Amino acid sequence: MLNVLIVDDSLIIRKKINTILQKLGHKSVFDATNGQEAIDAYAKYRPDLVTMDITMPDMDGITAVKKIIGQDASAKIIMVTSHGQEDMVIQSIQAGAVGYMLKPITEEKLAQAIGEVFIEYATNDEDDDLEIDEL
Amino acid sequence: MLLESLILQAKLFLQDDMGLSISDVQTRQLQQDTLTLKEYTSMIGVGGKINVMVVISYDQEMLEKLVELFMDGESLDPSEEQEIKDSVAGEVVNTIMGLALPTFPNRGKGVTITPPIAINNSTNLVKQKSSKIISVEIQTNCGTLSIHAIGAEDIIK
Repeated sequence: MLNVLIVDDSLIIRKKINTILQKLGHKSVFDATNGQEAIDAYAKYRPDLVTMDITMPDMDGITAVKKIIGQDASAKIIMVTSHGQEDMVIQSIQAGAVGYMLKPITEEKLAQAIGEVFIEYATNDEDDDLEIDEL
Repeated sequence: MLLESLILQAKLFLQDDMGLSISDVQTRQLQQDTLTLKEYTSMIGVGGKINVMVVISYDQEMLEKLVELFMDGESLDPSEEQEIKDSVAGEVVNTIMGLALPTFPNRGKGVTITPPIAINNSTNLVKQKSSKIISVEIQTNCGTLSIHAIGAEDIIK
């Protein structure tokens, strides 16, 4: 079971990710609504994984990734993003994020994204390669 | 140009992602300066190389269906109902805008979008003199979604 920090300013997205994580047998340790909360929560909980929105008020996801990686270079952060934010996804990866997932969020996408980062949770569906290679 | 892309992505989102059936799509250019909003509305500002305001308004049936679909079978806590509705309204406009962005000229490079803003308890938006309001009504088996683009006509059309 992974301890996960969810970062998103949208309540419905936090709920959706929370629900899916439970179905997958993982646990949310904290729901943060902006980048600064994420940094503070990361320092406190040291989660196995972070799901990070890109566009948020106060502090965006890219800045938060940089700061979290500054705290812990081995942090595992997956960006949650919409189509059309490819440039920002690339910036996030350059900042240290390990993957990304396109909205709308589904159980399959989240399971696949987790499996790409944690091999022990990898799914076997070869058709579901993350689209990161297409960037 | 921009509106066609928004209509296409809205239809794909409603049909493919939400599983709704679309029965009719109607486009009209408003002659008046004032846009009358439905009960639930969310908007996004598009900036950079294109300056347009995109407003999506939902009737009650449509938003309630979208909330149900987003909640994925989870029950709705009454204390969170308004925030959930605002959140879903925002996510839908954000998703449609995000899907449309790569279809803009130069794949949308140089175009920025703001986080979605919920508009509650407001019935009208009044445009500036030089801009136009072009509206699209997408009717589905579960209510109507309206897209309004406010800006220069040559950019919207």
